[in-house]
Amino acid sequence: MILAVAGGKGGVGKTTLAYNVAAELDAAVVDADLGMADLPDGRGPDLHDVLAGAADPTEAVRPGPVDIVPCGRTLAGARAADLTRLAEAVAAIEREFGTVVLDCPAGRRADAGVPLAVADACLLVVSPRAFALADAIRTRELARELDAGVTGCAVNRVTDPPPVDPIGDALGAPVEVVPADPRVGRSVTAERPVATAAPDCEAAAAVRALARRVPE
Amino acid sequence: MELDWSVDHEDGASLVGVRVRNDEAVPRRVRIESRIDGPLLPPRRGGVPESGWDATGVTAVLDPGERAAFGFAALADPSDPPVEIASVEPASVDENGGRGTADGETDPARAAVRDLGSHRPPRAAVDGRGGPDRAASESGDAAASGSGGDGADRAGDGTDGEAGREESTAESPPGSATGDGVDAWFAAVEARVERAERLTDADLETATAVVEERGGLDAVAELDGRVAADAERLRAVRDRAAALAERAEECEVPAEALEVLS
Repeated sequence: MILAVAGGKGGVGKTTLAYNVAAELDAAVVDADLGMADLPDGRGPDLHDVLAGAADPTEAVRPGPVDIVPCGRTLAGARAADLTRLAEAVAAIEREFGTVVLDCPAGRRADAGVPLAVADACLLVVSPRAFALADAIRTRELARELDAGVTGCAVNRVTDPPPVDPIGDALGAPVEVVPADPRVGRSVTAERPVATAAPDCEAAAAVRALARRVPE
Repeated sequence: MELDWSVDHEDGASLVGVRVRNDEAVPRRVRIESRIDGPLLPPRRGGVPESGWDATGVTAVLDPGERAAFGFAALADPSDPPVEIASVEPASVDENGGRGTADGETDPARAAVRDLGSHRPPRAAVDGRGGPDRAASESGDAAASGSGGDGADRAGDGTDGEAGREESTAESPPGSATGDGVDAWFAAVEARVERAERLTDADLETATAVVEERGGLDAVAELDGRVAADAERLRAVRDRAAALAERAEECEVPAEALEVLS
């Protein structure tokens, strides 16, 4: 199973949700944001190296509470990355780790499209502010064109109750509300999924609900 | 199937234009192949050949009466004729709308690379670090630049990257030029951000003044886009600078030890 976590806008919390949903699915999470990586990196090969043909995909998996394939931080690496290698690389990781979650970049360029094309399904992340919805709808269209079924939509970092029904209607997918919770925000840098840090909080329940909608 | 072609020859390459027309009353699939004795360069977008193209020609499905035009280059002298129709067969209508993708685009990832905008950051952004690297390789310190990222850059960047390097080396000594370039870029960004700041939450008078100064609303709309792009690039530069600084701090060049050895 390959799940893409996508959303038109940057900064809506795609990486955080990708990490936490991956924790719930016992999956490896791949930082596919070639130009602006967010997941923690480390020593050793990263996705830039894999897409440049310089490293084996499974070598780039960095074990942790959630296994991570980090992405390089250099623009030169982003330029050299050959997206046509992504499908094969992700398939290799899927063979070894079972489930793969792809943290997608914002926008509608090839780096956002290819992960959706590679994925079996996708999860949309949208900020509760109205203008962010427009970008999410564009991403939903892209996902539809590229045959990645939308399994759910996360309205992320919510403080006031959002208009759940209109968002669900607009995106044509079941909506989960993820309340703003600093423990979710910290989970990626601390490498401590919210399911471990605060299993009883509302945000953790929302992440569980999102993960449950992902088909086997 | 009517076939019509033209061919130009330039610098050892043949540039071939082909027109075909389906003159039957049924949709048909046509396969056109190059007869030129040399590698065929199909039209590409995002580095991926257009759908229907392969190493020897193109396959397309034409509706009744439909015309289609193709063009390609081949690295050899032209032959006469440069192309031939290798096969024509009836095409069933149910094949995903029929057009172009005669042999089916089976790889959606390749299609996405071709059809969506390029993800690659502009070379100008990458070349910001050209100076130090070039200095390193010029002083024969090639081994030092052999880390994964740099190697990948060269491999992926191919010929245009090399050309860029040679050009700037010829123009000016490394270092100074790049430094000035970076300063000039920062200055330009700063000017744009200042203008944008004046417009942010501005009162009517200031806003009017800035709009006039910029030459109309269109220019201001463009400014908004430019500043957004600036912000994106500044963030990328910041990340890159931080990563490089970290690497630079960790480096230790054992110059003294090497002197003792030599």
